[in-house]
Amino acid sequence: MYKLFLTLRYLFARRIAYFAIAAVMLCTAMIVIVNSVMGGFLDKIKAKARGLLGDIVVNNNSARGFPLYGEFITDISKWPEIEAAAPVIFSYGLLSFQDTAILNTVQVNGIDLEKTYRINAFKQSLFYEKYYPGSTTLGVQQQPKLGFDPERSPVSSDSPGEMWVTLPADLLDLLAKSRAAGIEDRETVDSGVNVALRKAGLPTLPGLFEVNIEGATDDPSSDDGSVGRAGYFGDPREGIIIGRDLVAFREKDGRYRRYMQRGRMTILTLLPISDGGSVDAPIKVPLRYADDSRTGIYEIDSKTIYCDFALLQRLLLMDEGERADDSGKIPARCSQIQIKIKPGVDANKLAERLEQHYRSYLEKDLPDVREFERNLLSGIRVQTWEESQAAYIAPVEKERILVTILFAIISLVAAVLVMCILYMIVLQKTRDIGIVKSLGGSSAGVAAIFVGYGAAIGVVGAAIGGTLGYLFVIYINEIQAWLIHINPAWQVWDRSVYSFDEIPNTVRTSDFAIIVVCGILLAIFGSLAAAWRAARMQPVEALRYE
Amino acid sequence: MSNADNLLTAAAIRKHYRMGRSVVPVLTSCDLSVRRGEFLMIMGRSGSGKSTLLHLLGALDTPDSGRISLTAGPQSPEVSVFPATERERNEMRRRWFGFVFQFYHLLPELSVLENVLMTRMVGTSISGWFGGRGAIRRDAIALLEQIGLGARLKHRPAELSGGERQRVAFARALVHKPLLLLADEPTGNLDAESGAKIMALLHDLHRSGQTIVMVTHDMQLTKSADRMLVLENGALQT
Repeated sequence: MYKLFLTLRYLFARRIAYFAIAAVMLCTAMIVIVNSVMGGFLDKIKAKARGLLGDIVVNNNSARGFPLYGEFITDISKWPEIEAAAPVIFSYGLLSFQDTAILNTVQVNGIDLEKTYRINAFKQSLFYEKYYPGSTTLGVQQQPKLGFDPERSPVSSDSPGEMWVTLPADLLDLLAKSRAAGIEDRETVDSGVNVALRKAGLPTLPGLFEVNIEGATDDPSSDDGSVGRAGYFGDPREGIIIGRDLVAFREKDGRYRRYMQRGRMTILTLLPISDGGSVDAPIKVPLRYADDSRTGIYEIDSKTIYCDFALLQRLLLMDEGERADDSGKIPARCSQIQIKIKPGVDANKLAERLEQHYRSYLEKDLPDVREFERNLLSGIRVQTWEESQAAYIAPVEKERILVTILFAIISLVAAVLVMCILYMIVLQKTRDIGIVKSLGGSSAGVAAIFVGYGAAIGVVGAAIGGTLGYLFVIYINEIQAWLIHINPAWQVWDRSVYSFDEIPNTVRTSDFAIIVVCGILLAIFGSLAAAWRAARMQPVEALRYE
Repeated sequence: MSNADNLLTAAAIRKHYRMGRSVVPVLTSCDLSVRRGEFLMIMGRSGSGKSTLLHLLGALDTPDSGRISLTAGPQSPEVSVFPATERERNEMRRRWFGFVFQFYHLLPELSVLENVLMTRMVGTSISGWFGGRGAIRRDAIALLEQIGLGARLKHRPAELSGGERQRVAFARALVHKPLLLLADEPTGNLDAESGAKIMALLHDLHRSGQTIVMVTHDMQLTKSADRMLVLENGALQT
């Protein structure tokens, strides 16, 4: 009983112990914060990376792609483990907007939009599809334009020339659907049209659309030719989905300010690669900006565009064709196959089977698969999405571990501090140790007082530090907002630099528990030297200690 | 007088201290018997080894050689105080011996009552403590009231006079009803009045049957003892 009693009494009676508690507390809080922010960052990156892929991906790491994807998808679609599969083509190109000087180098992804929706979270990344569900297509389309509604009043009496603007009827219907579902645009800075509508207390029109001023002459339904009507205009072209950072500025508050109107004409320049590996003549293709995608990863959103799989395959000469010598067909190729698997299926085991299946084509006698195609097939790798993204995720994972280790090493300072403080207390309490031993206290019992003292310091310090760290992480964005409010220069998380709008603020329960336990162990470790000295003291010597 | 009347027996006790390279002999050959219920006083000048002898008798220290044994009751077997393991010596201090020191040696962070209770805490498990805490507290408070400290239960040692602190030390040494009370110059740090009160307390204890061994260098105090031994040149003389 005396061990517990003296441990608690020393804990609360010796003010110097508060310094040790503070050291443990700060270290625990520091590691909880660092681990949680880094871990949250990693989790977000994983979630975002996952959102663009299937559960399993098939690659051959060649810009020429690989053949027989159609046969493969047909085969595996019969497997009970497979939910869906879709081919993808990757290429590079230049993207420009008509009538602007903007020119970007981009990664071009050729996708089958409907199939991609079934495989990953790409649909959730689209802006216009969210507010005008079903309107986004990579097929042939014209530009939707806002028009004036002559039957409605002017926006304000101050500007009698301004009239209400409206969308084409089908888009208005789609917008009504999303509004009914409670979907509101809070991710975009208001366009001029929306500022006026909001000012007038009217519902805004998410996105940026061109107003049909000149279009009056194109529109046969125009009443007098002076006011354009809402509708679709311009040459019909295939659609393109563009990474959001290519069509909008990201403000410091995380919202986007669009500067490209939906349906605007773009020019995509592609560099097809011949079978021999040389670059053929560039191909320019006009495409309409159908929607924009925001995965949340700046590297992707600032460099990637998405167009129709069949179109890109044709432009890059990867579609099926006749051999020059009429000796057969050249099989179509793709760059990747994304596969969604059914819940509960072991992705690693299935990936192995899928790879074996693809490689089995090499053993079959397929007349259209010649030496060139066989070489492409031999490089096939089937991986889970984590494996395929390892090069992207691993550095962040390593950074998280590294930072946590660095801070853990710094935390050893707390252990040394606890050691010094407890050793000092043992020196101060030498006579007390003699008294306790004279009353029959054992060496182990006296040692236990100081180990218990260290543990008590650890428990109190780690509990307070853990709680503070937890609260800090949970309210980290509010804290930053408060700091920015005091002084804008104190912004530590620049939303225009990092991939994510907010500082990750989730605390993993398992990590939290490990850190708190380590905090307690750290303090116990710090108490061992003091406990050892106390245990070894002879009672008579301790009583004589001055 | 038979051996059964002896509570404690020490034979051929030797003890030396090392001071750097030199060896300082303190006890060269001490033989001693403490009779049950006796008030034995050991006299000696400063540095003669009185406190060392007391510590050895109370299993607080170990001699270089010799033998110390204790017989708890007339029918009880003789138990070796030395040689004995550390664990056995801890147990003996906890059960059979009570120490009073010249400089009180109270725990400063604890109240008067807690200092006294500490003796009982040392020998009690957590569950045992919470099971019998009421009775233990009552015994301790009764003892403190008996020695005139009933109004000082919650005071810290720093808030007490020297005489009061020494009485607390007595209460701490007696609360577990030891077979032998070992007092190391208990009046050495007190004024005459306080010293007299402490001696009166010792007499009361002696009258109630408590066996006491006290060491002192004050010749005046030896008058009240049943027996007096003088420690000189490392050996006891009558």
